[in-house]
Amino acid sequence: MTDALKKPVILAVDDTPENLDVVRGILASTYTVKAAVNGPMALKIVEKQPPDLILLDIMMPNMSGYEVCERLKSNPDTSHIPVIFLTAMDQTTDESKGFDLGAADYITKPVNPPILEARVKTHLALKQAMDDLQGAYALIKQQKDRMQEELNVGHTIQMSMLPLEFPAFPEHTEFDLHGLLKPAREVGGDFYDFFMISEDELCLVVGDVSGKGVPAALFMAVTQTMIKTASSGDRSPASIVTRVNDALSSDNPASMFVTLFLAIVDIHTGRVRFCNAGHNPPYIVHPDGSLTCLNQRHGVVMGALPGMAYGEDEIGMAKGDELFIFTDGVTEAMDRDGELFSETRLEKFLSNADCSTSQIMTGSALQAVEEFAIGAEQADDITILAYRLQDSPKIVQSDSLELSLVADIAEIARVQQAVEQFAAQTNTAAGITQKMSIILDELLNNTISYGFEDPKDHEIHVAIELNDDHVSLRISDDGIPFNPFTHSDPDTSLSAEERELGGLGVMLVKNLTNSYAYQRLSDRNVVTLTIKLETKS
Amino acid sequence: MKIEIRESQGIQIVAFEGNLDTGTSPEAESKINELIDAGNQKLLVNFEQLNFIASSGLRVLLATVKKLNASGGDLRICSLNAIVQEVFDISGFITILNVKSTEEEALSSF
Repeated sequence: MTDALKKPVILAVDDTPENLDVVRGILASTYTVKAAVNGPMALKIVEKQPPDLILLDIMMPNMSGYEVCERLKSNPDTSHIPVIFLTAMDQTTDESKGFDLGAADYITKPVNPPILEARVKTHLALKQAMDDLQGAYALIKQQKDRMQEELNVGHTIQMSMLPLEFPAFPEHTEFDLHGLLKPAREVGGDFYDFFMISEDELCLVVGDVSGKGVPAALFMAVTQTMIKTASSGDRSPASIVTRVNDALSSDNPASMFVTLFLAIVDIHTGRVRFCNAGHNPPYIVHPDGSLTCLNQRHGVVMGALPGMAYGEDEIGMAKGDELFIFTDGVTEAMDRDGELFSETRLEKFLSNADCSTSQIMTGSALQAVEEFAIGAEQADDITILAYRLQDSPKIVQSDSLELSLVADIAEIARVQQAVEQFAAQTNTAAGITQKMSIILDELLNNTISYGFEDPKDHEIHVAIELNDDHVSLRISDDGIPFNPFTHSDPDTSLSAEERELGGLGVMLVKNLTNSYAYQRLSDRNVVTLTIKLETKS
Repeated sequence: MKIEIRESQGIQIVAFEGNLDTGTSPEAESKINELIDAGNQKLLVNFEQLNFIASSGLRVLLATVKKLNASGGDLRICSLNAIVQEVFDISGFITILNVKSTEEEALSSF
């Protein structure tokens, strides 16, 4: 680009010094005018420092103006310099020859000063515009290259976060699992994940992050990590999604978001609890080819709004049922005519699919989409995660006790009596009964004293289930959302004078149980606890 | 819950029977406060007949030991069953309260 503060440089080439003087006289006040008296000299000057425009005489000894022009135009370093022929000849054949060689313009001598000035000005402006355009193009190309590089880095991050080894749990014959992700060239940000969160429960996650490249990949990595962290010690999909959404939304300057389906499956009983945050509804494919669409929605996409309370639902799976979770890269895959693969085609595929293993299922689903979209570019990542229950679900035999109470401290004594009666009937050991009594006293006292903001009638449910090797307690209330287990325990190393009175109850609950969990299920707080039984004699 | 109060060698023995929890702790606290307000400085809480203790019961014990420590008095606890012992261990009360295994041992320790 020409420096705006510097005068443009014009090179005038003519074998007659008087002609050069005329040109100089007209242009020197506006431009820096350099002069050459023959072709070779002109080429030398151009090579040394290219001018912004060349005024070129045609009839010169040794090397004609045509030849000079031809040489300039054949050299990529000089081809962009506008050349105006300046000559006494005025035959049209000469003009067309000059234009054929790439000349910008043609002026006949004797020179008319205003015409020369006007033409020079016009061609310098044209050259400037061309230079600007080329600069802009170079910049665009550079940006494009950088973006492509970023997309590549994004894909690398994305793929490195996925569990890719199958079978993932060779020790578990109760279920069969397979996941795949086929990245698109440009858009991306899908992910899937799965991990055991307890001896019996497997967490399945499929998500789709908005955007592409490194930012999307990082957002995906953060989401995936947060979910893994949140699900240790929290067995409620609704609670996990609610907490991760808060964390994602609170520090999200790029306003990215992620659609997510999270399920916690009990690998023995077939129970599936799930939370859908703005994601495509998955399917359960039954062995007879019938489908159940898990179309319940529990809130908007994650990362958009903090303070959202997500819900969850529950469904049972039977032997041979396949849970099929996917991203919109499947249903929105386009064929050459722009038609979508769609839910209809997916359902038709699933009804007739070979479900003998999850890997066959995911592989043939991808194949169906690829065959449909053959010849069209893949616009979005395609992700599929399939989970199959291999064994018949275990039916749990148990004694149980269910109670309802109103929010009144005096009700706790009634619960205690019922628990003691239940314990006596079921020959439950004194130590276990005492633990249950303490736990119920602590949690019911907390809920009744602090759990309700309004005086309306509230009902609290207590359920106790006695199994072969453990007893489970479930307490639910319709009070304000509150997870009792998130507060830190009191410092037990302090002296009597330093000790505070709060926090002791929940600490006892945590330590007297073998597992404890909080869930917010739609409008209820649900606390589930288990206590292992000593081996029965 | 039953609360029995006896005296031995100038020491007030408070024996609990039943559960020390949300429902019964207010009564336990007022009984103990009556004794302290009457000028008694040496208290022995006997848990031999106690079924279990919850955090509300622990709060009563903590308030009592703070009061007695401040006035130069003394509190002993004795005869914990397994669950009460476990609760004392979890809560760290085993280190801030003076716990003896029997009433005799507790009485002779004053």
